[in-house]
Amino acid sequence: MKMNMTFAGVAVAALLAGSAASAQDVIGYITKSATNAGWMMINQGAADAAAEEGVNLVSVGPAFQGDLSSQLEVFENLVAQGAAAIAVAPVDSAGIAPAVNDAMSAGIPVVAVDTGVAGAEVTSFVATDNYAVAKVQGAVAATLVEDGQPIIYVTGNQAQSTGQERRNGFVESFSAARPNSEILEVPTEWNSQEAQEGVEAILNSRQDVAMVANAWDGGTMGAKAALENLGFSAGDVKLVGFDGAGDAIAAMDEGWVHANTAQMLYQMGYQGIKAAAAAARGEDVSARIDTGFFLVTPMTSGTYKAMVGIE
Amino acid sequence: MTDISRAKATTSLQDRIVLGLVKFFKAEWSGAFLAIVILGISIELATSGRPFFHPSNLMTILNNSAAIGIVAGGMTLVIITAGIDLSVGSVMGMTAALTGYVASFWGFPPYLAIMTGLGIGLAIGAFNGSLVAYFGMPAFIVTLAGLSIWRGTGHLSTGAQATPKLPETFDMFGRYNPFAGLRNAYKEGELSGFWESMGGFVDDNWINFFRTFQMSMLIFIGFFIVLTIIISNTRYGRWVYAIGSNEPGARQAGINTPRYTLLTYMFCSFSAALGALLFLGRAPYAKSDYGQMWELDAIAAVVIGGTSLFGGRGSLWGTFMGVILLKLINNGLTLAQLDTFWQMVVTGLIILVAVGLDIVRQSKNPESVRKLLGAIAAVMAFLALMTPGAIYLRAKIALLEHGAATTLREAGTSLAAGQNARLLSPDEITQFQSAASANLGATLLLLVLVLATAFVVLKTSRLISFALAAVFIVMILPVSLMGYEITVPFLVLGAAALLGGTYVHAMFAKARMLDVNAR
Repeated sequence: MKMNMTFAGVAVAALLAGSAASAQDVIGYITKSATNAGWMMINQGAADAAAEEGVNLVSVGPAFQGDLSSQLEVFENLVAQGAAAIAVAPVDSAGIAPAVNDAMSAGIPVVAVDTGVAGAEVTSFVATDNYAVAKVQGAVAATLVEDGQPIIYVTGNQAQSTGQERRNGFVESFSAARPNSEILEVPTEWNSQEAQEGVEAILNSRQDVAMVANAWDGGTMGAKAALENLGFSAGDVKLVGFDGAGDAIAAMDEGWVHANTAQMLYQMGYQGIKAAAAAARGEDVSARIDTGFFLVTPMTSGTYKAMVGIE
Repeated sequence: MTDISRAKATTSLQDRIVLGLVKFFKAEWSGAFLAIVILGISIELATSGRPFFHPSNLMTILNNSAAIGIVAGGMTLVIITAGIDLSVGSVMGMTAALTGYVASFWGFPPYLAIMTGLGIGLAIGAFNGSLVAYFGMPAFIVTLAGLSIWRGTGHLSTGAQATPKLPETFDMFGRYNPFAGLRNAYKEGELSGFWESMGGFVDDNWINFFRTFQMSMLIFIGFFIVLTIIISNTRYGRWVYAIGSNEPGARQAGINTPRYTLLTYMFCSFSAALGALLFLGRAPYAKSDYGQMWELDAIAAVVIGGTSLFGGRGSLWGTFMGVILLKLINNGLTLAQLDTFWQMVVTGLIILVAVGLDIVRQSKNPESVRKLLGAIAAVMAFLALMTPGAIYLRAKIALLEHGAATTLREAGTSLAAGQNARLLSPDEITQFQSAASANLGATLLLLVLVLATAFVVLKTSRLISFALAAVFIVMILPVSLMGYEITVPFLVLGAAALLGGTYVHAMFAKARMLDVNAR
């Protein structure tokens, strides 16, 4: 049910009209991206939960990643046309808040998925605790290098809570364990091209970098391409990922990636829609649902692959 | 008569410098080139470790400029015809995704996949170009629609899924290193005689030079050389400029303007497809969300390079410099480890300076050149101010927020989560207080300098300029003592800009005289 926001209004109206006849609850699901590999897993979980709950899922993705205005527009359309509940993955924690407030005061439950809402109450927030997981990522990364060896950290968008929490969690726990290791940052806005070029620039100017840790697996793959572009082999510079995306796990099997803190992406979408459907029926839902994480290392990658169904 | 010939015969060094400068600034790429040099020197001085102007770093910048550079090359021609192509980013993304898709999922041999990609590029260009040239639709609208259509088509046809790693043939467009084979053979000990010593030389200088000598860079430079030759030596090249400067006139002169407009759009989309191949040569996989916002980067590079958005005037080498400047900003600011948000601000400032250089270059007015140099000095003073200023401001703001949040709480308001985070522990308060007071002196000193320089931009005499340049230099001592050695390069460059400004009028007068003599 992927579609462009531009046509979302029409589509929402049509689906709502159709649903009235079948007397199914309509759950609006506003995603952050329909093309990012991780988001496709979340969206799959959402679709499966909707089928299980027997609700009509109206799912809409933004015209491009990070487009707040189209997300707000769709949100308002869903409210105006009487969705029973709305699950939203905000592209901007604070920017979405006024729309969330309007919906909540109109009695429509709102479930935030993956990214929290700043400045408005939500019915439930279903997500990995990014800060806690990033602390684990930092601690595990510290065991892969010796104190004093400099490392690169590829950040996510620092204007978003997800990007900030992952960076802060990683830096805090890594620096605590390896106080003399310099952390060189490559800033990105969740764009693997920026990751690749930044890592390439730094690795080219210094020979002593021992590891590249990443805020998300698009960065991990960008960093791997940078290493390949400079003629490194697997393992010369260690890679640490975040997300547990399929291609990063494949790179782990080839010896490039040494640790990856996987979010339970499928669970995030699945439990998000489950919570939204429960709230729409008027049931109580927990205000914070932590979907957990899984530490993937070369030792545990087999278990992880079996669990999320890779290959 | 004799005076003039004598003057000619004894051209002094000074005259030659002035003439050289005049010649340099007549070139359309000089603005971007100057910005590259200024920025490069600042980064060089602000970073430690391997020098910024190291060949392997410069080659890395060229390698990473290659894909967007070729897209911008095609865009340059479209803009010279007074058109625009907003669809290049989407066309790049779609051809990249489809090329990878047919190669990995349909089992196309690599060369066939490559031909498919380039063919799709040409077809899209024919579509855009026909609508613009034969149906009279505005290029802005046609290609804005294309921006959405081709992105969507790319997602639809590949399911927006990444491909597995592409066959090695694609490395020929990107990371393939012509010296790698020689080095490997040397390491295996398969060489003898001359080739052995060559292999040894390559291996010794691998990290310092040969490692980054890759196909991306070679194709990028080759593309611009070939395109420049075509544009300056063929009828097509002349007519592109003619269409851009006066389309009705060109048509009346018997030029088949629709056909050449169509050709230009076809070439632009073809360049986008070629750029996609170069990008695939360095990327981890093929995916339909590549190339987002590339249309803006490409247009920015073209404009920074001195090409007029109104058509009829511009140069390919300007675009070449413009692309490098954009990539240089990213590369340099990453190496300098500047804070993310400051990077955004500084990137914008550098683009303004580069375009400002170009506008002033065209004005041929000594007073605007002097003002620009003054403005550059002011920017340099601002960059120097940034280091202590940012620390001071952050500390002050944190303390203010703490104060405001405490007042709110005492007034009995319940605080939201975001407001609670603004409360500080006693330890943090002392930390911020000492940070604020430690940086106050330098901040005030440099702030005065910024304001004084800004004033000089508007109104000045030579004396004031000299005095201010001296202040820039003198300022180095106190700020270094306060521990801000990092600001020294900015202060030196600022002083140089101010001093240069005082000579502008004299140089223009000289140049005019020499120009007269030359005639």
